[in-house]
Amino acid sequence: MSAHLTHDDLDLYALGVMEGQERHDIEAHLAACPECTQALAQARGRVTLLAMSLPPEAPPAHVKTRLMAQIRQETAPAPQRNRSSTDERSAVRGSGLPRWWSTILVPAFGALAVVTFVLWQQNERLDQQLAALHDAATNQQAQLDTATKLADLIGSSDTVTVNLAQQPGQPQGAAHVMYNMKMGMLMYDGQLDAAPAGKSYQLWVVPTQGNPISAGVFQPVPGQPDHWMMDMPKGLVPKAFAITLEPAGGMPQPTGPKVLVGVA
Amino acid sequence: MERVCQRDESALSELYDRYAGMLTSVLTRIVRDDQAAEEILQDVFYQLWRAPERFDGSRGSLPGWLMVISRNRAISRLRKKNPAAGGEELNEGAVALPFNLESEVSQKQLLGLVRGALETLPGEQRAAVELAYFEGMTHSEIAARTGDPLGTVKTRLRTAMETLRRNLQS
Repeated sequence: MSAHLTHDDLDLYALGVMEGQERHDIEAHLAACPECTQALAQARGRVTLLAMSLPPEAPPAHVKTRLMAQIRQETAPAPQRNRSSTDERSAVRGSGLPRWWSTILVPAFGALAVVTFVLWQQNERLDQQLAALHDAATNQQAQLDTATKLADLIGSSDTVTVNLAQQPGQPQGAAHVMYNMKMGMLMYDGQLDAAPAGKSYQLWVVPTQGNPISAGVFQPVPGQPDHWMMDMPKGLVPKAFAITLEPAGGMPQPTGPKVLVGVA
Repeated sequence: MERVCQRDESALSELYDRYAGMLTSVLTRIVRDDQAAEEILQDVFYQLWRAPERFDGSRGSLPGWLMVISRNRAISRLRKKNPAAGGEELNEGAVALPFNLESEVSQKQLLGLVRGALETLPGEQRAAVELAYFEGMTHSEIAARTGDPLGTVKTRLRTAMETLRRNLQS
């Protein structure tokens, strides 16, 4: 099993911002790691505290009234079936309806209740199917968008490919970046040793003017390549690309040693 | 919760009185629709009554669990209303709250503490955290909303959560 998940990973997962492969990897780890699953409960607790930034707001009284009526309806005892025939007669008389009506109305209401329940269940099922279809369509659209962007990037004559060179004394790896200034798009493809404990790798675009811009923070899984596309500000002229080692989670500006560097 | 399991209506009523206020503020903030927030609130407590065994007291805190369930339902409702928002499947699981939320007093004390911690964050970090928590947005959805590069959003959220963790722990 790979190293335990960091507090950062767990907090971000509990916050619900992780997606795609990143999320899949975390869930795969959690499925096999009871310690991290326990740590996730604490991360959920930390994230839940965000709710406490809002002052409590009393709900209208009718919500509780409806709730209590709903549960009483559910727990109310079933009508007694051993009433005397006199009671039954007087009840029917009291209702003002001929007795034979009850033999029609009771089954009719019963049937209506069954039909209502079946329709409600069907509706719930359809809702779930619709939500699943929507999710699948959204995922497919996202994949299609990525594939289209990748094709555009590779096919454009304005795209430059920069190989990043290994820096002495740093973790081993190889990577290249495809960058299109006009499209404002970057693609990273590479494979690096695992980051040391408490550290993350961070890819930077170093522009000809201004400070470096982060183009991704990552924690490679040993033996597996990393690959992603990133939207960048259009028209940003790169001077170089670099991968540095930063404190886990990345930094707003590079602070650590350069691991791979490529001049644009 | 034991009394709820024994079908004691007054126990549910007490739990409602204790936690409905904090849940309502979050539900209203997320769905921005009083009626929808009321429906979710009622449903969360009704489900607690119908299936109290879904909450495992040995694995976490009841108010934390109620909050997670309520937030998840509110965000699901928000996504149905706005199909353009994507988002991933939301999880429900054990929640270990680092603070006690049993009383109104402790809820109010925590309000000050969490607000204080959020206010220490730079504006863009705080905004990213709020988009994630109260609108259920993922990294890429936040990047699309703010127009910032995905990497920037990721770094921003990671740094924000680290700061919050440090401030709330201290």
